[in-house]
Amino acid sequence: MAIELSGVRYRYAGASKAALRSIDLRLEPGCVLGVVGANESGKTTLCLVAGGFAPGVVGGRLEGSARIDGVETTSIPTHALAQHCGLLFQNAATQLSNTTATVFEEVGFGPCNLGLAVPDVIERVWWALKAVGIEDLAPRDPARLSGGQGQLVALASVLALRPPYLILDEPTSELDPAGTALVGDALVRVAAETGAGIVLVEHKTEVLARIADEVIVLAEGSVAIAGPAAAVLRDPILAELGVEPPARVALERDVRAAGLDWPAALAEALA
Amino acid sequence: MSGLERRSDHPAPAASAGANADSGSSGSFSAGNRSTRAGSTQSDPSIARSSVPSVPSSSGRSAAPSIELEGVSFSYPDGTRALENINLRIDPGELVAIVGQNGSGKSTLTRHLNGLLRPTTGRVLLDGRDVRGLHVARLAERVGLAFQNPDRQLFAGRVSAEVAFGPRNLGLRGAELDALVRAALDAVGLSAEAASNPYDLGYSRRKLLSLASVLAMRTPILVLDEPTTGQDARGAARVRAVVAAASEEGRTVIAISHDMRFVAECFRRVVVMRAGRVVLDGTPDVVFGEATWPELRAAYLESPFAALAGARLGLGATPSESSFVAALGQRARNG
Amino acid sequence: MSLASVASGPGLPEYVTRRPGGFYGSTNPSTKLAVAALEVVAAFVVPGWPGPLLVLGAVLATALAARRLRGLAVVALAASPIVGSILLINLFLLPGASDPIARLGPFAPTWSGLWFGLQTAARLFAFSAAIALVYLTTAVDDLLADLARRGLGRRVIFVIGAAVQTVPRTIERAGEIVDAQRARGMDTEGQFWQRARGVVPLAAPVVFGALTEVEERTMALEARAFSAPGRQTLLRIPADGALDRVLRWGAVLALVALVGLRISGRLA
Repeated sequence: MAIELSGVRYRYAGASKAALRSIDLRLEPGCVLGVVGANESGKTTLCLVAGGFAPGVVGGRLEGSARIDGVETTSIPTHALAQHCGLLFQNAATQLSNTTATVFEEVGFGPCNLGLAVPDVIERVWWALKAVGIEDLAPRDPARLSGGQGQLVALASVLALRPPYLILDEPTSELDPAGTALVGDALVRVAAETGAGIVLVEHKTEVLARIADEVIVLAEGSVAIAGPAAAVLRDPILAELGVEPPARVALERDVRAAGLDWPAALAEALA
Repeated sequence: MSGLERRSDHPAPAASAGANADSGSSGSFSAGNRSTRAGSTQSDPSIARSSVPSVPSSSGRSAAPSIELEGVSFSYPDGTRALENINLRIDPGELVAIVGQNGSGKSTLTRHLNGLLRPTTGRVLLDGRDVRGLHVARLAERVGLAFQNPDRQLFAGRVSAEVAFGPRNLGLRGAELDALVRAALDAVGLSAEAASNPYDLGYSRRKLLSLASVLAMRTPILVLDEPTTGQDARGAARVRAVVAAASEEGRTVIAISHDMRFVAECFRRVVVMRAGRVVLDGTPDVVFGEATWPELRAAYLESPFAALAGARLGLGATPSESSFVAALGQRARNG
Repeated sequence: MSLASVASGPGLPEYVTRRPGGFYGSTNPSTKLAVAALEVVAAFVVPGWPGPLLVLGAVLATALAARRLRGLAVVALAASPIVGSILLINLFLLPGASDPIARLGPFAPTWSGLWFGLQTAARLFAFSAAIALVYLTTAVDDLLADLARRGLGRRVIFVIGAAVQTVPRTIERAGEIVDAQRARGMDTEGQFWQRARGVVPLAAPVVFGALTEVEERTMALEARAFSAPGRQTLLRIPADGALDRVLRWGAVLALVALVGLRISGRLA
């Protein structure tokens, strides 16, 4: 029971270079896997491949094996992908269906597409809205939301599908620090209560430091390092790979570079 | 405005790039400041040297003007009240960060600086003169605004044409224009892409392109809307270098940001907004200092980690990494 | 805070189930469509003045009762350039007319031209008013929900809904683009020629944005099981009472009858 990528190599249709060169990855249920890397290192492509959308929806060529719960993604029909893996893309504005009158119906878009009974739809919508903390947005018009609100609604819409795995590509990009913290907390709860496995692509390494179990660093389409979150985020190679380490790590590095000791008082007190 | 005093040390253009060590802590670490900042700056030597285009002013636009919002309130056409009696004066050469929760009025405020929005009540003054009658195109000569979403403005087939758009609108042509474009692309590290199609660049570099297109306009006041959001480490380092270089040339730089580390590291004045009002206004030392944490929290913000760490150790105000290291070193030396 | 118990009401919230009110507003959308179709056909199929005048009368009366006269006036205004030109064409250039009202140099407006022109104008106004009435008294979401209930495929529904949304969204995005270009010195408040130069910097980002969006939107839809087989669950179900059904079927039958009568030449 996992998402498993082995020796994955992927090239977009019509591209000269492979976007992913050699990926090995395993995501277990209930686990939060952070993905970091410089822009254009393949993070978004990784999301698409892990979720089966590449090559399924976008075409292109996949080598190696990408499996969700033991089934190759290439053999899952496109319309069933959403039930295996909830995928949230970066640009919040394009995630909304623009066919619904209220946020309530927007979040219910997925469950309705699946043909679930009305009481089930209602239950899932409220659960998702509550998970992201936006119940008060339920009556609002999705077209009139701010960028950050739209991003939260898009997240709720994906959660409403209750997929066993969630792949989120920079879900906090438009959010302020409070909103970012909210999403981080929500994801932890979702993983704990539904046992969903979560892949989280983030620039904000602070978030990963707080909620990720494991982190992989992508560089030019390959996995540069992978391991437990705490260890990876402290690795000095992060800066060379174009990733900003969490503030705490950066500060400790600066202190040691200046020839000073990292105060013990900080080691325990601050997470 | 709250009762916090602003430090009266007028930012001299020669101040060391972006470091806040000069606002009080020991100077002995200032030489080391550059190297103790985020590591990736070191791995790309061209970034540390980057400078912002400054063709010797033959046009007489020498000193930056001051810009002021006087009693400005603003409501959107649908009735939403976005700004409530803002009184804010930004002097020439200042480095100001505007922070606040989404919806606190930051973007609305910056759009008043270049005339895209006009106050419902109150005035906007440039060098003491009301800008009411001036078209946005005229104000664009003095106030350059780089938008958060680069895709809302890219239209040219080539990067160089995109960067040339702004200065061309301001009447520049020929060799002078080319020099400006080249310098701007240099400053953001996109010189190699001058002939590329903007949409062939990734998001990070499109954002830098949009920054370059505003830099090329040589405006004495530079306003940046979330310049580091969505950027990776390298892009963020570029932005920091550009901000520092612009300030060194005497330009006024104003930025909206959610990134408190960026704010503490690069800016000398922080304006905190909440629900359309300015609730805090002071140096990073003061705004991120322990005394104001309750107010920051009320505005749904938090101090950068360095400030929290410094407070934990009783080191005084250390909002930026460099000031923290400096203070820690000072304590170590004092035994 | 556990997510397990979500007690926010067992049923659908009222803002989803709420039916529109108002005289014609509460009528079932498909019924309104059927009535509009009847009105449109009647306006053109029934010869002479009775056709357009009866339709106009019916539409105006309904609009009055539904308090939408102002909206209709706007539509009439919008239609007037076209209608006016057709009137003028008929007035001056009706083939075979030989009863001039006056002679204005080479131009000779004719009485038959005027008569026919006015009649055509009336038909066109009736046509636009009938369609406008549906638009003015029906929310797009309710209309789409009703069509979905009657079995219209989800793809078609999505296309209609997205198309309707596109205009306001594009306008909004265009607004942001205009702001960004103005901030770079493009003059939108000055002379015409200066403004004309701004077409490409304004239009291009809109087009590029729309195009790059298409792929993202497609993927986002797939990510929400849009192409799942089987019937879609409907949350919003417009009312369809007995009166609605009678009116709808009546309109359809009348429409068929009219067309039949016209084809068979029974209408004078």
